[in-house]
Amino acid sequence: MPNDSGTSTLPDRSRPPAPGSLRPFHLPEVASSRLEGGLELRVVPDRRVPLVTGVLVMATGEAGVPERAAGLAGLAGEALMGGTRHRDGAGLAEALEEQGTSFRVSTGWDASMVSFTCTAERLPDTLALLAEVVREPAFPVDEVERLRKQRMAALAQRRADPSDLADDEADLVLYPVGHPWRRSILGTEASVDALEPAQVAGWAEAAYCPGGGGLVLAGDLDLAEAEGIVARHLGDWSGAPPAPPRLPEVRLGRERPVVIRHRAGAVQTELRILHTGPPRSTEDYHELLVANAILGGSFTSRLNLNLREKHGYTYGVRSGFTFRRRSGEFTVSTAVGTEVTVDALRESMSELSDYLADGPTEEETARARDYLAGVFPLRMETAAQLASRSAELLALGLPADTHHVYRDRIRGVTRDAAHAAIRKHLDPARAPVVLVADAEAVREGIEALGIGAVEVR
Amino acid sequence: MLSFKTERHVLANGLTVVLAPDDAVPVVAVNLWYGVGSRNERPGRTGFAHLFEHMMFQGSKHVPKNRHFELIERAGGSLNATTWFDRTNYFETLPSHQLELALWLESDRMGHFVEALTPETLANQQGVVLNERKERYENQPYGDWDERMLRMLWPPEHAYHHTVIGEIADISAATLEDVESFFRTFYVPNNAVLTLAGDLDPELALAAAERWFGPIPAGAPIPDIPGVVDPGPVVGGAPREMVEAEVPLPRVYLGARIPPASEAEFYAADLATSILGDGRASRLYRRLVREQRVARDAVSFAFPLVHGRSMMLSWITGYAGADPAELEAALVAEVEGLADVTPAEVARVQAMAETRFLSQVAQLATRADLLSMNQLLFGDAERLNSEVERMRAVTADDVRGFAERFLRPDNRAVLTYVPREIA
Repeated sequence: MPNDSGTSTLPDRSRPPAPGSLRPFHLPEVASSRLEGGLELRVVPDRRVPLVTGVLVMATGEAGVPERAAGLAGLAGEALMGGTRHRDGAGLAEALEEQGTSFRVSTGWDASMVSFTCTAERLPDTLALLAEVVREPAFPVDEVERLRKQRMAALAQRRADPSDLADDEADLVLYPVGHPWRRSILGTEASVDALEPAQVAGWAEAAYCPGGGGLVLAGDLDLAEAEGIVARHLGDWSGAPPAPPRLPEVRLGRERPVVIRHRAGAVQTELRILHTGPPRSTEDYHELLVANAILGGSFTSRLNLNLREKHGYTYGVRSGFTFRRRSGEFTVSTAVGTEVTVDALRESMSELSDYLADGPTEEETARARDYLAGVFPLRMETAAQLASRSAELLALGLPADTHHVYRDRIRGVTRDAAHAAIRKHLDPARAPVVLVADAEAVREGIEALGIGAVEVR
Repeated sequence: MLSFKTERHVLANGLTVVLAPDDAVPVVAVNLWYGVGSRNERPGRTGFAHLFEHMMFQGSKHVPKNRHFELIERAGGSLNATTWFDRTNYFETLPSHQLELALWLESDRMGHFVEALTPETLANQQGVVLNERKERYENQPYGDWDERMLRMLWPPEHAYHHTVIGEIADISAATLEDVESFFRTFYVPNNAVLTLAGDLDPELALAAAERWFGPIPAGAPIPDIPGVVDPGPVVGGAPREMVEAEVPLPRVYLGARIPPASEAEFYAADLATSILGDGRASRLYRRLVREQRVARDAVSFAFPLVHGRSMMLSWITGYAGADPAELEAALVAEVEGLADVTPAEVARVQAMAETRFLSQVAQLATRADLLSMNQLLFGDAERLNSEVERMRAVTADDVRGFAERFLRPDNRAVLTYVPREIA
């Protein structure tokens, strides 16, 4: 081989090169304090870039809204940007953006969050605006009305997106009537259509308060600086949101439902396999993460190697547990060609049942542990990432040091423990199946699989 | 001004190596840009650069299929690759003591790809890519908009006329010979930039890059991009298309040719699109979404492309039952209205762009990707450091001048989607 670069010997390509010496990764310490009114403050100093990312977590969300008002929490969150007692919505946007500050409100099931990124020197101004937004919202009637109509349009868009349709259908199949997770987090067209501006103000009054939540600030500051600035605007902010309603119990039926949502002429099938799952507080959390990484939570998972890399049925398939504060679920999710839908479902079911029966190998378990423990620091690299990871902990009601013990817990998961945990929580024989597909093309084949009674909707 | 220090070396085989040490966290980003994208594809072989990118994960002489993913995941790293009009990038982010693992893997497929090529892996990835196409384009509302828009914005003899994903028939028609010849033509060290950013010792990292990549022979010079280089500064007409499709709401897209990313005026175009569509204080949001309420959402952006010209795209989605002609008129009025942009509006989007840029480069993987881009497309990795200055240099007069020259009726493609009446 011609080589004029001066290298005299070729490297040994036959095996991976030996790693260098490991440099330890230290998560930055989280400093906490509590303000007079009750707001918990968590600060993660990171001086590398002159920016600060903040996330205000408020401990209530869409699950706290009764079914007839579904969508109210999210609408209220959006309407926070509609104006305050001191400026209208356009003026608020202007005040933030002329300083280069990004600012967004998001509403989840169990928490509502306001997050921002600004330059460190603009932090006092940004916190003043943040306080104004959550403590003195004006909810102008015409703005609430506009946002309500936008939400109606978003629901219409959702109906046309096969992937969204599959997720919505999955919720209908998995959750019983009266359970908040049965509906889309956006609400329903009937409920959103009926929402009134006065309800928005009422919800905000009760929901937007510091109790059970907190403020995370990560970036170019320290706790002392943060306390001073935050106290000025949120120091006397007090109150606690109402406790969310009890969640009805979710049980899988003895018979597996197989639901096809018909889309005439669809070139592809959106496929979901569903199961109930435990909340984030489960003692099996780390075991389930390892078990799932092997099944469908990584590129080299069993499901992806089969459906994608062996058969070419799909661009990708994932499985995963959703760990919420008070409940959880498990989903296998993929999109496959219409003509291979039946094969892909058969392969998925057999991967699931084989895995549940035999469990992972030692080698797979070791690989999953190394993967999860190893990629963890990559998700904690920047101040913005540190802020959002810390905010997730607040929203889940978990202690500030949760991340500091994560890698040790993952490294402690054995093959048998991972297998036992996933067996405890999943029963593949009862897992409901949802397909958004051309029913005429796939129905017969799916019935012939004999996995459950097929219903076309 | 940012001051990311880099070292740049060119190996004897033509591979450019950019080193950007930063030991804040024990992580290293490995980022490899090849100067090949959909613009290099020939008629009848569209989608090939992207299909080829998939093939690069199917194994090389010393790395069997799936091993690349397995080893990086096991090392606690993340990885991926993407294909775009002007380039293809491959990247791994991993704990810094595993740097050589990524170099071994990347150099094995640059140097020893062909030996592992089989008909089975090609057939498998054709299936995967055809499903990717279905998932992202065919089975999505408005999913074919870019295909339709590109056909109107660029003549057939220009490389941006077709999409990166390509035509179904072309993807299916690809042969092993195509794959091999594409590799030998474009996947050569003299057509690549390797950036290593993060926790590394520059001397050791350079030696490692030399050890793994140095023995790979240089390839022939890269062939010219097929077709015309410069199709002209403007579309030169007002092509339009109305599509009845299974979409829930009407939507109007506008496209325009703009100067390429290598020219100062691209920054004026970029800021113009931000003034239109970036944030709640943007013109489209303020006027069309908040005040007039003709749109439920609004988007506008400029692509940083370099082959002759680039493009700007904007769209708004109307409410159910909206008149598409009114939607179009509302969007056109805002685009043409950029001719009266104020200094305060320019200052707003400059401040937003600066905050966003600082957030992006804080992440090693993104910083490495931008260093590779600046090196491969503009010949200077450290150009990254002056990005904010170039953006800050734009004045309201520049934006107005850009709007007058480019946001004209003869530089506008219009694509409208209306919901199909369901009988």
